Amino acid sequence: MKHLRLFMKQLCAFGILIGSLAVVPSATAQTWEVGGGVGGSFFTSQSVKNALSSGDVTLSNAVAASFWLANNSSHLIGGELRYDYENTNLKLKSAGTSATLGADTHAFHYDFLLHFTPQGSRLRPFIAAGGGVKLYRGIGKESAFQPLSSLALLTKTSEVKPLISVGAGLKFAVSKSFQVRIEVRDALTPFPKTVIAPAQGDKIGGWLQDFVAMVGLSLTF
Amino acid sequence: MQVKSFFWGLVIALALAFPGLPGTFGKVISIGGQSSDLVLDESRGVLYIANFTANRIEVMSLADYSIRTSINVAPQPSSMAMSPDNRYLVITHFGNYVAPTPSNNALTVIDLTTNGKQTFALGNPPLGVAFGIDGLALVVTTTDYLLFDPALGTTTQIDTITGLVAKTLPVPPANFPPQITTASMTASGDGLTIFGLGGSSNAFTFAYDVTSRTIKPGGIVTSSGGLGPRVVSANQDGTRYMAGWAMVDSKGITNYFPKNSNQFNVGTTLFDSARGVLYSQIPQKTGDAPELKISDVDNLSVRERLQLPENTAGKSVLSADGNTMYAISDSGVLVLPVGSLSAAPRLSVSQEDLVFRGNFCDRRVTSQQLTITDPGGGSTPFSASTATAGVTISPSKGITPATITVSVDANAFQGQNGTTTATLTLQSSKAVNIPSPVRILINSKSPDQRGTIVDVPGNLIDLLADPVRHRFYVIRQDSNQVLVFDGSNYTRIAALRTGNLPSSMAITFDRRYLLVGNSGSQIVNVFDLETLQQSDPIRLPTGNVALSIACSANAILAATQYFDGTHHIIRLDLNSRSGYQPATLGVFKNLTDASVALVASPNGSSIMAVQGDGSVLLYDAVQDTFTVSRKDFASLSGAYAASIFNQYAAGNNLLNSSLVPVKQFESASGAPSGFAFVDQTAFRTTVPGLSAPLGSTAGPVAPAVPSSAAGIIQRLDLTDPAGNITRATRMAESALVGTTGIDSSPFSRTLAPLYDRNAIVNLTVSGFTVLAWDYDASVAPPRLDRVVNAADLGPGLAPGGLISIFGDKLSPVNLATKEIPVPTALGDSCLTVNGLPVPLLFVSPNQINAQLPFEILGNVTLILRTPGGVSDNFNLKVLPGAPGVFRSGVAGPVMDIPTIVRQSNGELLTASNPIHKGDTIVIYLTGLGQTLPAVGTGLPGPSNPPASALNTTQVTLGGVALPLYFAGLSPGEVGVYQINARIPSTVPLGLSVPLSISESGSTTSIDVRVVE
Repeated sequence: MKHLRLFMKQLCAFGILIGSLAVVPSATAQTWEVGGGVGGSFFTSQSVKNALSSGDVTLSNAVAASFWLANNSSHLIGGELRYDYENTNLKLKSAGTSATLGADTHAFHYDFLLHFTPQGSRLRPFIAAGGGVKLYRGIGKESAFQPLSSLALLTKTSEVKPLISVGAGLKFAVSKSFQVRIEVRDALTPFPKTVIAPAQGDKIGGWLQDFVAMVGLSLTF
Repeated sequence: MQVKSFFWGLVIALALAFPGLPGTFGKVISIGGQSSDLVLDESRGVLYIANFTANRIEVMSLADYSIRTSINVAPQPSSMAMSPDNRYLVITHFGNYVAPTPSNNALTVIDLTTNGKQTFALGNPPLGVAFGIDGLALVVTTTDYLLFDPALGTTTQIDTITGLVAKTLPVPPANFPPQITTASMTASGDGLTIFGLGGSSNAFTFAYDVTSRTIKPGGIVTSSGGLGPRVVSANQDGTRYMAGWAMVDSKGITNYFPKNSNQFNVGTTLFDSARGVLYSQIPQKTGDAPELKISDVDNLSVRERLQLPENTAGKSVLSADGNTMYAISDSGVLVLPVGSLSAAPRLSVSQEDLVFRGNFCDRRVTSQQLTITDPGGGSTPFSASTATAGVTISPSKGITPATITVSVDANAFQGQNGTTTATLTLQSSKAVNIPSPVRILINSKSPDQRGTIVDVPGNLIDLLADPVRHRFYVIRQDSNQVLVFDGSNYTRIAALRTGNLPSSMAITFDRRYLLVGNSGSQIVNVFDLETLQQSDPIRLPTGNVALSIACSANAILAATQYFDGTHHIIRLDLNSRSGYQPATLGVFKNLTDASVALVASPNGSSIMAVQGDGSVLLYDAVQDTFTVSRKDFASLSGAYAASIFNQYAAGNNLLNSSLVPVKQFESASGAPSGFAFVDQTAFRTTVPGLSAPLGSTAGPVAPAVPSSAAGIIQRLDLTDPAGNITRATRMAESALVGTTGIDSSPFSRTLAPLYDRNAIVNLTVSGFTVLAWDYDASVAPPRLDRVVNAADLGPGLAPGGLISIFGDKLSPVNLATKEIPVPTALGDSCLTVNGLPVPLLFVSPNQINAQLPFEILGNVTLILRTPGGVSDNFNLKVLPGAPGVFRSGVAGPVMDIPTIVRQSNGELLTASNPIHKGDTIVIYLTGLGQTLPAVGTGLPGPSNPPASALNTTQVTLGGVALPLYFAGLSPGEVGVYQINARIPSTVPLGLSVPLSISESGSTTSIDVRVVE
């Protein structure tokens, strides 16, 4: 709960900052884009080990949804404010045994987009990079017994991690007002060690990568 | 207002002051004569009552039960029936006068739509009349069956009767219609079958098929005439009917009431097919108080007994909605609102038995509570009483719902060494039912007495161990059940529904089926022992009930009682599920004594029949015939058994393979009860205080009252030519002797060694008593090594807390109890602390779990007594508080989890189910010491109000004090406390945060995980 409140505070501050960045170029570029997309997310895993055994911890592949507000401030450069949602599971696997706990993630980030064709082109390949925050939440039903609890504990709690976002994609102008977008992104965060807590004496480290492939539709104005 | 309060106060006071006068069920309608038949005409809202002696038909309003009109008819209206279209009322007149009064047998038809009346003369005395669904009335006279068409006034003879003699008029005074006509007729609810019963010096029954207009035998024909009351009733579809006390279906008699007074003019029967019950009054003996039984139709198990204001006296009818029963009675008619029985005041008790286990550690007054309720939820006054000195009841009067306390002063029973059976009787001025008395069992035993008593309420009459499964079977005759018990923990695992009044059991030689004979049903129940499901029963030849059964490797034999009181051996065929009576038993007549018991040798080679008249017979399975019949004794009773080495036991006698007596066992220890051969040894039980039938002159021992003496069990070495008793040991209570069954057999089978040879089960006064196989082995005194709290096995002990004692030879058996209050002696072990008895929850050779008394504190001394002797003193320190959290939690494969529960999901607190801020947790522990209100040792914590810990309890999590909602005894638990605490937001987070519980300077701590 505390993490959720912190996340909301950070989200507001970040939103104000990014919103002001987005508004400034809008006065000159006059090109806005609002849209959303759905796709699949694929997480990398990290290993966890103790003296007796080892396993992998991650989040399950899931459906991802995203909403964005973009502003193309110049012919080639743009920026967009994004919200990403994924409904997934915390997951722990070892030697054919696995444990899961229902989870979701909420990410809010600002990415800069570098297009390879000028504004007004029908096809606009782009690359993107940016940053933000990501909230991990364990939301499943807790149980007194969790398999592999000697390795890690899947926890009904929440935590916020800083997020680095990189990606590439292609925008296709269907009409003057509509664009179809396909893209691939990688959202990197430090491993969420509160919702997937290493058991006493165990260690989990590194980053968690979340690859998202998505198809979206944008309204431009 | 004051006047009203005073009035109700007076009513309650009077009710409490005179609860002994019984309430009765039903309303009596007097008709000023003797009623002979009833017809219910709900379309007109009336009941027609044939007034036999006043020569009229009384017309009673169903609205207010008043006799509004009377229809004058020809003399002696004896039977009535109404046509299916409700138009015609046909009345027969029994006018079988002898000269000089002319005979006036007749039949009257009343057209109920026009009130037109026409009377026809009959040539012979009519026995009864009933309408079929075809609108024709079947009129039965002493010589013929007539079909009467009420519309045309024509009769057609469809069959004749011979050999039926009707009574003649006039009769001596104080004779009633059922004694004069001695007949009854009725139609099934669907009108397709008509049943009848008649005969003044005999009894014959018939069934008339309305569709085919044919008469068939009704399943009963007797020459003695003994079939009362003279009432026939049928169920809805005509598949069953009652003739007097016997129930008949298409194959013959199924169930019956074996004990019956056979009075023609007292009693009634009525089927309620919608509810699946039979309403009946079948007095067991002349002069019995009027009582209506509500029984299951399939096996006559009694559901309820109701007190009637007067005797029923013939036919009963039921309203279409099943709510009101109208029965002919002494005064005329009884109106019984059976559909609103739940609203009638009744009494019910929470337990059938109250068991008080006194012991040599505990001579205090002990108390137990009994809840008395009205099943309908009403406020019914009652009084409770017992005639046994040393037993007190408080309060002895009250209004339901109420809880009374039954107290037993152990000092009043210290002179005995067995179980005294006292009876608690309930009476009421309002209750219409007859509540079963509560059995109060008071056991008082000495250290040398062996065995653990298991209470089993009811009338137990036979015991059989399964030869290949770890089970044993007990017949509970009063509830028509075979109880199946697990042979490892002695808990009941099933109750098998039998016929009426099960009498004996046998297991087929292939070990697949359990056969149960019934003395009140003409069937032998067959149960598959793998599934414990009932399969098709074996039908005995008409008129026979099985009193005893035995299965050899060849034949299955049943000792039966025939309708006429003769007794025979019948051979049963499991494949055809039938039986037949062999013409002879080899060279002997197939005629046995009234008291006979069969037993097969375990290897199936033979079956011995032992008889109360002192004779014995032997069936040889190889020759498939009876090879021995002898009579060496004036009488025989008690134990009977057969061995695999061609030895037999009968009463006090050991017989050889020719059933020649080869040894007489001692009789000084009492009457023989049970006997079991085990290889070349045997076990034998006797009951002191009862005269032993020596097998020569003494008559059978009457079962009388259960003995309050200690029972005796003897181990016999049969290889010893002298057959000497190697060891005799006193049991915790007496075995049953003779059966208390309905057939009053003098033989008893009360001893069953279990097949794994770990224990011996004995049918005893309270239920059964379990003895370890080596119950008589010499044992060393117990040794106490360590005493810890039972929660975390830590050293801290507090008053009222649960403790575990570790040591050696602490008990000869493993035994746990759920009895409340927790007994202070269990499995032959008893424990005292500073002389106070300690309630024992579990005993085993190396561990005992118990509750420390609330009264002790400081340095105390523990002593354990077992059959092996007395332990050395064990000194220990008891603190005011010493909390210890139980480690008995289990989650998946993980065990020994602290018993701390998150209230939000009801699951144990673990690393995967961590504490969250804002949670409420419940900690189950022991050692919080004395409480307010105080709770007796061995009793569960109360729920309203709960018992709070007297000392201040503190709980911290990571050093942060937790607000507590409650700390005290867990309601319903003995010695188990609970703390309900809330988790504030200020607690630290972590994988391992200490949760500490402190009281009176003692602290216990557990590391728990805390998350947001």
